[in-house]
Amino acid sequence: MQLAGPPRTSSVRSRLRVAACLLLASGVPVLAHADGAPINTLDVTTLLYGEKDRARVIEPNVRVTRIYPDGQSFSGQLGIDVITGASPSGALPSGSVQTTTTPSGNRTSSEQGATPLTSFQDLRVSFDGDWTRPFLRAFTSTLGLRVSREKDYRSVGANAKLSVDLMNKLTILTGGLGFNHDQVDPVGGTHGGLGDGTVIPGRGVNPKEVHTAVLGVSRIITRRWIMAVNGSRTSEGGYLTDPYKVISLMDGESGLTVGQVTEQRPSTRVRKDILTTAAYHLEEDVIHASYRYYWDDWGVKSSTADVKYRSEVDPDAHVYVEPHLRYYTQTPADFFTFGFVQGAALPAYATSDYRLGPLRSVTLGATVGFELSGYPGEWTVRAEYIRQYGDASKANVTGVQKQFELFPAVNIGTVVIGYSLDF
Amino acid sequence: MGRALKARRPVQAPGPGGVSLVRGEGFFTGHFQAMGGPCEVLVDTDDGPEARAALDLARSEALRIEHKFSRYRNDNILHEIHTAAGRPVSVDEETAHLLDYAALCYEMSEGRFDITSGVLRRVWKFDGSGNVPDGEAVRGLLERIGWHRVGWADPMLTLPEGMEIDFGGIGKEYAVDRAAGLVSGATHSAFVVNFGGDLFAHGPRRGGRAWGIGVDDPDRTGEAVLYRIELERGGLATSGDARRFVTWNGRRLGHILDPRTGWPVEDAPRSVTVVAPTCLEAGTLATLAYLRGPGAREFLEAEGVQHRIL
Repeated sequence: MQLAGPPRTSSVRSRLRVAACLLLASGVPVLAHADGAPINTLDVTTLLYGEKDRARVIEPNVRVTRIYPDGQSFSGQLGIDVITGASPSGALPSGSVQTTTTPSGNRTSSEQGATPLTSFQDLRVSFDGDWTRPFLRAFTSTLGLRVSREKDYRSVGANAKLSVDLMNKLTILTGGLGFNHDQVDPVGGTHGGLGDGTVIPGRGVNPKEVHTAVLGVSRIITRRWIMAVNGSRTSEGGYLTDPYKVISLMDGESGLTVGQVTEQRPSTRVRKDILTTAAYHLEEDVIHASYRYYWDDWGVKSSTADVKYRSEVDPDAHVYVEPHLRYYTQTPADFFTFGFVQGAALPAYATSDYRLGPLRSVTLGATVGFELSGYPGEWTVRAEYIRQYGDASKANVTGVQKQFELFPAVNIGTVVIGYSLDF
Repeated sequence: MGRALKARRPVQAPGPGGVSLVRGEGFFTGHFQAMGGPCEVLVDTDDGPEARAALDLARSEALRIEHKFSRYRNDNILHEIHTAAGRPVSVDEETAHLLDYAALCYEMSEGRFDITSGVLRRVWKFDGSGNVPDGEAVRGLLERIGWHRVGWADPMLTLPEGMEIDFGGIGKEYAVDRAAGLVSGATHSAFVVNFGGDLFAHGPRRGGRAWGIGVDDPDRTGEAVLYRIELERGGLATSGDARRFVTWNGRRLGHILDPRTGWPVEDAPRSVTVVAPTCLEAGTLATLAYLRGPGAREFLEAEGVQHRIL
């Protein structure tokens, strides 16, 4: 028989059709039933990082996650970092031409007044695996293992995390412990600290142990506002010195560099931080803001403020743009120095590594997320410009060094291309 | 032409354990009980294991959705919502999509379609008897009904204390479409998923035939097919009072209640059958039409929907 009704459309029907399609096409995973099939997600990212005239990094990364119907999940990641380029050796500008030796035996010469760099090339391969399991309705446990290896560094680590949902999932408490055992095997041997680079005989591999404890709480304040506070304490012990960094010795009058010594850091370090994050949902867009305060017993204190604004350009097509702004500032370690005057008594610990110096950085960037119609999966492209600079106004240098820019600004660009697919 | 399949209940009673698979004329019919009624999966194949696999898929999805959205369990999201005592509850993605859909239905029906109207069931017993509830009791419940009183901003749902949510009006149709989606991924044969009369046909059958869907006579439900619809592919659903009604002052009142009055929809058709691309859409249109009472036909005609009203 024929059904009544001419083939016309009007508002109720067409709106209903769109809504029904949305509901049915939402691809809601079949999680609650044990007979359902597991879901797999593939995430591929490639990071391209470049510092002007310095280091370049290419970091492809592949992660596969498998989620089972009972909520358990396994995830494994393989990452490769290819690093080439040059990094400041710690030495001061020479005042005359200067060279530095490098772990792989390369030589880099630097012009008068320029920050000496050490060139390097390395390949790092890392693997990590995680197993997450919900249990007793409100609890979730995660166990993880990580392994990484590069020419002069090996790391093995494990961590465990437990979360509990409280008050109808309005509050989530998380606690975790982590452990890392690393081995530093400097190319060319381990140098004695604050020395002329003489290798300590028979000392090849230097162990380093890291213990981490984390505690966090996240809370849904209102329907639109979510906040989280996380704290961590990390205690490191063992070989914490950078085997390739040096400190310049300068002439007390002229400031010309007359030699250099290797750096030496303490063999323990206790690091603590508190991170506060907030996310606020507007009608469609989301604002993320976070502030991190970090301090350690080397005297480094840092603050990081970070703001992101995710704007849904075309929610139907899953297109969004997320501008990003970050400011970072840190105080130098107690034993940071730009250099020593030749002949002066040396302290027990010292470093000229800019990463332990009075460092600042500003990051400006944006992420664009989109889907290609007709092709499965989601794409993201993130580009950031980072300007790293320092405050050398209180540098303890003499003579000609005062004319040099001891902490030159570095311009860094990064691009991350990501692709995510459920299968 | 195949025989007419009754849209109102399975032709054959389920076997032991509630699950059975029977070979019919050129197709297999699997039966099971779920979502408060008989369910069927018909597969146009001669391959028993293929039909069995389709049956198992549809059944597991029906049971999953029933488990997740049943009002009678204490281990699901609905229980969590109902015991939150007015505090916000964070819901999962699937529940959120259903809530979004229900919110749209509420808006488009001007408050007639309301997933918070389930509390009325406490006083209305549609057992075919002449018992209607006390007017005071109904009025008392109206304060606990109204989607506009609910706070919903994905993923947070705030349900005032004393109110309830019931996905009964869309859950079965949603389950049909979900199950059909899963079955279509597992078989190349034509099939029908029929959960208690709400169905989705995936065709055409071998030889280009359509599925024949029988629509019950509301007066002789389960006994007589009043007419037959040829359905090659799409959703089909019926709203009506065929099996659940009370008689009051000589009038037969169907089980679909108008949440604005707390009383059954007045002068409603006996049954409204709608065909649409999905079972969910068909079921929603049938219910929206039914809720308009005497205006059902006008609504469906204005919407240009394929329908049949009895």
